[in-house]
Amino acid sequence: MQTSGKMKWLWLAIGAVVMLALPQLVTSSFAIDIFIRILLFSFIGVAWNLMGGYAKQLSLGHAAYFGLGAYTSTIMQVNYGISPWIGMVAGGVVAMLASLPIGWLCFRLRGPYFTIATIATAQVLMLIFLKFRDFAWGAEGTTIPNLGSAPLMMQFEEKSSYYYVVLGLLAVGLWITHRIEESWMGYYLVAIGEDEDAAEAVGVNAPKIKRDIYMISAFLTALAGTFYTQYIYFIDPATAFSFNVSIEAALVSIVGGIGTLWGPVIGTVLLETTSALLQSWLGSSVGGIQLTVYSLILMAVILWRPTGLIGFASDVYHRTLRRKPARA
Amino acid sequence: MWETLAQAVINGLLIGGIYALVSIGVTLIFGVVKIVNFAQGEFVMIGMYISFFLATQFGIDPLVSLVVSMPVLFLAGVVIQHFLIRRVLGPNDMPQIFLTFALSLLLLNLSLMLFSANYRTVHTSYSDSAWHIGGLYIPVAKLIAFAVAMALSGLLWVFLRTTDLGRAMRAASQNRDVAMLMGINPNRVFAVAFGTALALAGAAGSLLMPFYSAYPFVGQVFVLMAFVAVVMGTLGNVMGALVASLMMGIAESLGIQFVGADSGLIVVFGLLLLTLAFRPSGLGARRGR
Repeated sequence: MQTSGKMKWLWLAIGAVVMLALPQLVTSSFAIDIFIRILLFSFIGVAWNLMGGYAKQLSLGHAAYFGLGAYTSTIMQVNYGISPWIGMVAGGVVAMLASLPIGWLCFRLRGPYFTIATIATAQVLMLIFLKFRDFAWGAEGTTIPNLGSAPLMMQFEEKSSYYYVVLGLLAVGLWITHRIEESWMGYYLVAIGEDEDAAEAVGVNAPKIKRDIYMISAFLTALAGTFYTQYIYFIDPATAFSFNVSIEAALVSIVGGIGTLWGPVIGTVLLETTSALLQSWLGSSVGGIQLTVYSLILMAVILWRPTGLIGFASDVYHRTLRRKPARA
Repeated sequence: MWETLAQAVINGLLIGGIYALVSIGVTLIFGVVKIVNFAQGEFVMIGMYISFFLATQFGIDPLVSLVVSMPVLFLAGVVIQHFLIRRVLGPNDMPQIFLTFALSLLLLNLSLMLFSANYRTVHTSYSDSAWHIGGLYIPVAKLIAFAVAMALSGLLWVFLRTTDLGRAMRAASQNRDVAMLMGINPNRVFAVAFGTALALAGAAGSLLMPFYSAYPFVGQVFVLMAFVAVVMGTLGNVMGALVASLMMGIAESLGIQFVGADSGLIVVFGLLLLTLAFRPSGLGARRGR
């Protein structure tokens, strides 16, 4: 959109102030919990969107990196007493390294079969962690020892502190996305997403670009894994490598606007708010209602507005306010 | 030792017949319509629930309810192809992948809401009977399921080889554009392919019911196997999918027997990853369009 430079900074500053003030204004822990979920899944969506949105490498296996991040920091903390702040970065590095062989295998396939291969890798990792009972507690998982207020161990008494941590993560994710969008890499990614063969024909080193963006995407997703484990004080293979994480990462990006900076955030706000409303109306007694509604929203977006809510908003904006057709 | 080995191979082969029905459906849709149906497993689940309700409400044997589940799912396939899939056919992968994926999520969670997560079983007169041949144990229900699955696969093969519609489907899978130039109506061919694939999934569901529990997530077990088999058996190839499915069944059963009860899936995924590592060129490195 043609927002001028100064206006953009103004909006960004207003947004930042609102986001920073929010947990002070709204003190209900139920609401803050929802805010944290929204920020967390926005961040995971932003990480997914780098690879799935811009380069259209549609992974449904990002739980692999979420889980690796969660397990790396938890193993370091519980077994060796190392701070999760260090563990978080270590988890990111582990995920980055793991993305190399996983990418080497999965990028041999394209389109839907790439998607299937990524599902398989996340499942294999979950099965492996179910088997490792000696240092990773097997299927029972483990609870994180509660130290009360210990900011150096990423443990806080106030829920709002977790809010600020995940807000910071999201800001980093958006900043990285913005930098990539404006760099040569962003253009290469979009070219690969449009038509990989054509991109290679004009000299884009597609395998290298895909490998690099997969590493960045995996690194960021792993940070989310560490945060989530610290937030819920518990880890087991089923939650760490949950297929739902992989699904939601892709869903929020597609519903919001695939391959756009703010798409994952907008998608998460819609989906998580819907889910919270459903829960408060119906209670959590009706199993499956959340994903039923998610899948209906996803189908509606794909059939009627494949550019997502951002594309929809941009169309409406141009038609009504500017009386000009949207960009072709 | 040899008896254990032979028993594991037989167990795997028998369940592999069911995997084959699911994989043939996946590969048929991929070959003709050029999309991957992520919801294929959910149609196995629906086939199971159809047989379950016919058995509990009307006392109809699951094997007889095949004549209900197959046509119902064929019609469902034609409708889904016509109203949903047709709208996303094009060069873009994203809508195709996520439309069938959304369909899978929808069916799975709807059945979770309607039927709850409980396991449903149907007990038939032959559910517990088995033949003993020289120390080997062959459960009758699984043997019937295998035999019917192979017969249906054979019928499909004959249909694809000898009928005009079958030839049109094979032509469309080899080159859609040229097939259309030769006067083949793509919408009809796609609808029949999608319907046939779903009918096979429904058949798999009915055949499973005498010896397998129905629950909302049951399809996921079968669809993962099918995806691996379809990748291994070369995308879009019906015979390849059949052979690969039987091999997958045997590999899974050997994994359970010799590595551990929860190792079946690791063996199967391991096979997929090994195939990708060492024989990727024949396995979809080339785009099927």
